[in-house]
Amino acid sequence: MNFPQQLRFAGRAFKRDVKAGELRVLALALIIAVASVTAVGFFTDRIGRAMERQAADILAADLLATSGLALPESIATRAIELGLDTARHTRFPSVVVNQDDESQLVAVKAVTSGYPLRGALKLTTLDAPTEPAPLDTPALGTVWIDVQLKNILAIDQGDTLTLGAKDFIVERLIQYEPDRGENVFEIAPRVMLNMDDLEASQLLGPGSRARFTFLMAGEVSPIDSMKDWLESNVASEVRVQSVRDGSPQLQRALTRAQRFLGLASVVTVLLAGAAIALAVRQFSLHQADASAVLRTLGATRTEVVIWLVLRLAMIVVLASVIGIVVGWFAQLVLAKLLQTWFSMVLPAPGIWAPVIGTLTALIAVAGFGLMPVLRAGRVAVMRVLQRDYSGLDTSVVMTTLIGVIATYFVVLLQSRDWLLSAIVVAGVVAMLGVFALFGRIIIKAVRAVAGARYRLSVAGLQRRAGSSVVQLAAFAMGIMALLLIAIVRVDVLEAWERDIPPDAPNVFVVNIQPDQVDGFKQRLDNQNIKVAGVFPMVRARLAAHNGEATLADEQNERQQRRARREYNLTYSNDLPIAGEIVEGEWWATDGTAEPGWSIEEEWAAHRGYAIGDTLTFKIAGVDVTAPIMSFRKVDWESFQVNFFVVGSPATLVDMPATFVSSFKIDSDFSTTTGGWAREFPGIAALDIGAIMNRVKTLMDRASLAVEYVFLFTVLAGICVLLAAVQSSQGERIRESALLRALGASHHQIKHAVVAEFAILGAIAGLLAAFFATVVAWALSRFVFELPYEFNGWLWIIGVLGGAVGISIAGYFATRRVLTTPPVVALRNTA
Amino acid sequence: MNNSTQSADSAAAQPLADTPVLSGSQIEKSISGPSGLLTILHSLDIAVDNSEAIAIVGPSGSGKSTLLGILAGLDTPTSGSVHMLGENLNDLDEDQRARLRAGKVGFVFQSFQLLPGLNALENVMLPLELSNTPDASDRAMTMLDQVGLADRATHQPLQLSGGEQQRVAVARAFVSNPALLFADEPTGNLDSGTGHKISDLMFSLREQLGSALVLVTHDETLAMRCDRRLRMGDGKLTSV
Ligand SMILES: Nc1ncnc2c1ncn2[C@@H]1O[C@H](COP(=O)(O)OP(=O)(O)OP(=O)(O)O)[C@@H](O)[C@H]1O
Ligand SMILES: [Mg+2]
Repeated sequence: MNFPQQLRFAGRAFKRDVKAGELRVLALALIIAVASVTAVGFFTDRIGRAMERQAADILAADLLATSGLALPESIATRAIELGLDTARHTRFPSVVVNQDDESQLVAVKAVTSGYPLRGALKLTTLDAPTEPAPLDTPALGTVWIDVQLKNILAIDQGDTLTLGAKDFIVERLIQYEPDRGENVFEIAPRVMLNMDDLEASQLLGPGSRARFTFLMAGEVSPIDSMKDWLESNVASEVRVQSVRDGSPQLQRALTRAQRFLGLASVVTVLLAGAAIALAVRQFSLHQADASAVLRTLGATRTEVVIWLVLRLAMIVVLASVIGIVVGWFAQLVLAKLLQTWFSMVLPAPGIWAPVIGTLTALIAVAGFGLMPVLRAGRVAVMRVLQRDYSGLDTSVVMTTLIGVIATYFVVLLQSRDWLLSAIVVAGVVAMLGVFALFGRIIIKAVRAVAGARYRLSVAGLQRRAGSSVVQLAAFAMGIMALLLIAIVRVDVLEAWERDIPPDAPNVFVVNIQPDQVDGFKQRLDNQNIKVAGVFPMVRARLAAHNGEATLADEQNERQQRRARREYNLTYSNDLPIAGEIVEGEWWATDGTAEPGWSIEEEWAAHRGYAIGDTLTFKIAGVDVTAPIMSFRKVDWESFQVNFFVVGSPATLVDMPATFVSSFKIDSDFSTTTGGWAREFPGIAALDIGAIMNRVKTLMDRASLAVEYVFLFTVLAGICVLLAAVQSSQGERIRESALLRALGASHHQIKHAVVAEFAILGAIAGLLAAFFATVVAWALSRFVFELPYEFNGWLWIIGVLGGAVGISIAGYFATRRVLTTPPVVALRNTA
Repeated sequence: MNNSTQSADSAAAQPLADTPVLSGSQIEKSISGPSGLLTILHSLDIAVDNSEAIAIVGPSGSGKSTLLGILAGLDTPTSGSVHMLGENLNDLDEDQRARLRAGKVGFVFQSFQLLPGLNALENVMLPLELSNTPDASDRAMTMLDQVGLADRATHQPLQLSGGEQQRVAVARAFVSNPALLFADEPTGNLDSGTGHKISDLMFSLREQLGSALVLVTHDETLAMRCDRRLRMGDGKLTSV
């Protein structure tokens, strides 16, 4: 036969396959695999892009380059070459004076048009909360200010503020500034003006402490190349920040969401892969007879193999097309749903998802189908004359090996991580091995204890020992995945909830003078505001480690820059909230402690410090030296005030300090904090509720996404169960026909089938619960970094759910067993 | 497709009158069973002339199907040789033997062995397609008509009765005008009435087309319709 003939020949058989339902389970598994990979791919792609864009709001850009010195022009040149959108801002502290000659330290931000490149400023007029005409950038000669400054200096719409040598008209009130949260401790009230006014105001003298920032936004790949370029060309003097290294809370939420989606899609693909493996094996077994007949009539082995391969290729193509369409609609529905949550049009998905979906189907069918198809092509022709020529002899090692390699690539397509995929595949192989081993033992044990009543069912299990073990492993894998996704999902969602505790503070107050502390506490008490604590804050520069100056001349610029940085230190008798000692010991809490430091563990690890080392900080011109007594782990997600370096009171109590505090208010920010600035001159209250809300909405959206992807995993799990049930159908039909011919009643056989599946399901559920516990623990611990709690329900749900679910599925899948008349069954399988 | 097929073609095109279409000499078949080596066929000789019909009878388990398989090149003997259509099967590998059969050897089995994936017509077309014969569909249709199943052409094997399935199998066996036909208990799964119809059909087609026939059967009357009868016993064939 030539190829077109073969194609036609295979096409005819394929049409029949489709009609006869021969490929039903295989097609279903393939469609689910392709649809879920495609949908998850499309979906994570779009959501990922949307989430990244939201995270980008927090930088007001996709990429930032910031420096204490004027930025080299080459950055702008390069960014424009790459076609990026650009903007600049320059921030520095300064003093403003109002019409009544009252002055206030402010954080000035001069911006060019285009700022913010991502996210948006929320502006109102000062007098009325009505929607003002939108403005892009402060007009020349005007400034925008925030609520704090309005309160402190009692400013009204159109008032004049003097900044340096120039007067400005106050035109807008900044209600929300997307990148304000980038540095929560930049606490002075905000004044925003046009970059072109900056020179006229003569604010930036040669010695002023300004931060120059270049903002960039654009497509992923030019942003990536820009980032690379920045890192290799200007990194020594410029700090580069991209979306991915933005705020820790958001970043964590993003990574967790991506990990979970990744995990869910890997599990989905693994399950679908298992279903495909079972179905394709089943298909090949069915084709052994046809192969023998064809070869008797003169077909060569190659022709038979091509015939089978073509049919499989056709089903892959058909299932892929259907799967992609289904996947597309699935993500469309979801995108519509999420559109309302995201305050933006979701970015369009890339073309990769369907490609990966099709590739997944192809690899799975090729990997799991290759050996069975070759085997079917080589089956002994004598089968046509003598049934007992099984002839299906291929090396188990080879089949397993190819299957494992295929699984690896399928997982790799999802995870894009060589090592992780290897670990996952090794885990799955080990797990299936254990399932098979224990399955065999347990089936034997059940046989030993089963009474006469269940003998028929258990005997069935044992008669089909081989396929029973395969089924058991498949059931266990399906149930395990379902249990696992269920626990991990709940755990992850709960952990997200916990990320922002309900009592998380939404107001920071800084710059409280020592003599204001008691009065301020009293004030808060009067307003019924609960404060966890008021903490001293001492500004310091790191001067020496173990007596060696960190500011030595020969050190490179990066180290110098790090050393020049100012840190906020605090001192305390008690361990600060949201902290935990990981090494060393906390000092005496009764005030008798010797001088010493407690350092945040990662901060110390970066610098290579050890317990017992001495650190010297320069504080207001004085060197303070003390040994490191302990390392602390700090929960930065708690939103509580926290510090990298804490000293014992004896270390810092004599140093000049201001005090900071944080607390939660339920009332309106400006009315609550309105009077404070006048009552306690100098203090500044900062509203961080808005920023927290953004983090919270992001997490809500991410968890919704997680719930959705979970659906696909459930479908794939069901598909495995189906394929496993289906795989013994032929055998069962023959067997039950025989039993009925020998006089077993319809009832007896039904009971036997259901009981057999119930036993299988219960055993599978038990094994699954065990593995789900182990894997959930490992995942929580190493991947999601969450505490794991043992869950007893898992076992109950696993065993009961397994027994009930599998017997129902088994009953429906094999009811043909009961409806096929014995004569027909026996004749067709003679 | 390969050289041996070429030579097989020419041999089949001009069969020498004095060369048997099928012959086996000193055929020996042993298999390793659970209780050691079991010899099923003992230095057995057989020759089938052009257009000759021979019947092989014998008790169950005597090795009839084993012999048929070896003669048809479906299995290889432990020792000895088989010549089919002028080719020594020992010189051919499995695929070459298959090529040799394509379109020139027909089969009818006890269990029908229609491909469940194909309808009646497509099943009949198989040998023509495998031997690259043109007009496969027309010729198959004609053949189906001859066995009286033209109206069932698009039916699936499972939608046909046992007798109808076997008629399709007979049509499939003769459609390519084979030089040689093998039949293993063709009526074994059918009631005697249907069995008669099938054997009538087989013998009339055989006569019409001049195919040689090797028939394994338990049915004495069926065996009597053949030119010669051979009995299988103790791994040898004896004339009856
Ligand atoms: N693959 C095999 N493995 C073991 N024994 C075999 C195998 N094939 C055939 N035999 C044995 O060889 C002997 C001959 O078998 P064969 O099928 O040729 O008998 P038969 O004459 O066709 O019988 P029947 O009339 O029942 O079909 C039998 O004893 C059978 O058990
Ligand atoms: Mg036989």
